[in-house]
Amino acid sequence: MLQELDKIYFFMKRDVLSFSTYKTNILLSVLSALFGALSYAFLGANAQMQSVLNTYHINFTTYLLIGIAFNTYLSQSLTLVQKTINPWSLEEVLVSPTGLVTFIVGSSMWGFIWSTLVIAIYLAVGVFAFGVVLSVNIVGTVLVVALGIATFIGFSMIGAGILILTKQGDPITTIITIATNLFGNVLFPPQVMPQALQVISYFVPQYYFFTTIRQVLTGAALQTILPDLLVLILMCAVILPLGYFVYSWCLRTAKKNGTLSWF
Amino acid sequence: MKVSDNYAIVTRNVTKTYKSKIRGPERRASLFQSKRTVTAIDHLNMEIRKGELFGLLGRNGAGKTTLVKVLCTLLPPDEGTASVNGFDVVKQQMQVKRSIGTIFSVGERGFFWRLTGYGNLEFYASIYNVPRHGRKERIMSVLDLVGMKDNAFQVFQKYSGGMKRKLALARALLPDPPILLLDEPTTGLDVVSSRSIRDFIRNDLSRKAGKTVLYTTHYIEEAAHICDKIAILQRGHIIALNTPAALKRMAKTSDVLDIIAKNMSQAQVEALKGVDGVDSLAADVQDAVLGQTHLRLRLENLDALPGIFNFLFKEKIKIVNFKQEEPTLEDAFIELTGMGISE
Repeated sequence: MLQELDKIYFFMKRDVLSFSTYKTNILLSVLSALFGALSYAFLGANAQMQSVLNTYHINFTTYLLIGIAFNTYLSQSLTLVQKTINPWSLEEVLVSPTGLVTFIVGSSMWGFIWSTLVIAIYLAVGVFAFGVVLSVNIVGTVLVVALGIATFIGFSMIGAGILILTKQGDPITTIITIATNLFGNVLFPPQVMPQALQVISYFVPQYYFFTTIRQVLTGAALQTILPDLLVLILMCAVILPLGYFVYSWCLRTAKKNGTLSWF
Repeated sequence: MKVSDNYAIVTRNVTKTYKSKIRGPERRASLFQSKRTVTAIDHLNMEIRKGELFGLLGRNGAGKTTLVKVLCTLLPPDEGTASVNGFDVVKQQMQVKRSIGTIFSVGERGFFWRLTGYGNLEFYASIYNVPRHGRKERIMSVLDLVGMKDNAFQVFQKYSGGMKRKLALARALLPDPPILLLDEPTTGLDVVSSRSIRDFIRNDLSRKAGKTVLYTTHYIEEAAHICDKIAILQRGHIIALNTPAALKRMAKTSDVLDIIAKNMSQAQVEALKGVDGVDSLAADVQDAVLGQTHLRLRLENLDALPGIFNFLFKEKIKIVNFKQEEPTLEDAFIELTGMGISE
């Protein structure tokens, strides 16, 4: 176990050291997060969406900033496993005595730390400049974030598996991104859509993630979010193992066909 | 698979095929078939003793890299079994990975260009299970071994081709594995770097450290220079396997004599062709100013020598130099495969 943690640490150290050499990119990423947060905060402060107030009992600025901020976690998770399929180093890592789980977790740690910094920028802008009031249920937040990330890693593994076989173009990432934007409760609640489209929202895990994360960040107790949380747990319990199975199968198939590094 | 303790690598009937897309005119001719099966390794049997420096020689596409990938668990064989350090490459992958150090034919692959050489090795040391305690010393020690200690903290992207290869070798040595799989480790390097890496592999890794080395190459003389044994691979088959000296002897179908003679006329050259026991003779001007001619005589056997020298003495032809030419490994390769290595 300690050995695996050591490996994860050095995966992260490798990524941090590489990332830190791109100083202009760091500056631009921070500025982008800052101005993105300001844009959405201004939009939220000057627009009204009655359904948000009715359904979630929070103002539109809080709704938007939490949605956009935590969407960075899901976006990060969704492309996470694809990013580990680096044809430049995939074979060298796969011939080392390192398991698949350590490889995936290690390769993704820095991405999550960076996403957390981005989220902090969004929430700080909201709290300090636009009067957003947060009352964080820490246990609930950690639980919901973990479930959201795990579910999206499942999607990411399915997408990465397909990418390993097709080499270019994975439809899963595109479909999930569309579903998140349209039905995921990120920028607007599904209640503003026609009834037929609203129904679709109830079948995508993003809806439950964004619904519950907003609640736990504004003080809701676990009992309050339990029904939505249970659905999220159930979806995660199906999607994560399915993703692992698909990814492992595709990796084995590519190894068998000898096409692992053919990108 | 029962494997003797004396062997580091054993393959039994290993076969690996690929599906390859049919392109061009061939594709248009076969409307209903878009892929064909290419056999990269065909029922390959091979045994490499512990501590042996074993060369795998073959042209591009002979199956060398495929075999290395099978042995390092990246490719499962379609048929047959292979074991490395006594572990099955399909069923005991982790144990195999702990037993090997690998260099792939593109040596700089897997390195992170914005990190230093040390930073790269630090990452690989962790994923190769080099104990944290003493890791720094181990990294510096392998860098010292390959002559890269002074460049340890230079950024990888500033390394020359030779330095990148040396770092790849250092990476393979990090976990101190008993077996090294080196796939064309000197390809693309200049003469000095190639020699330095070859000498290191032969003297330090094989002779001093006693490691088992599988060394693939398409440089014939490189294989002849360093390997204890050589297998010649052609279209996935081993067509010859022996020591370099024994392989050279396989090419020795006739004796060859090289003579540098002075002031020899064309008529005398023609007359020499008629001496008993001379199968063929090729003559060319060695040095026009000095009047030297290079004669290459292929003889039935060495019994023809007295007749040849009698002729030269009788004709008062001065002999500047002569030697019996030994067949090279390239002669053996051509004889065995029916083609040159770069054809």
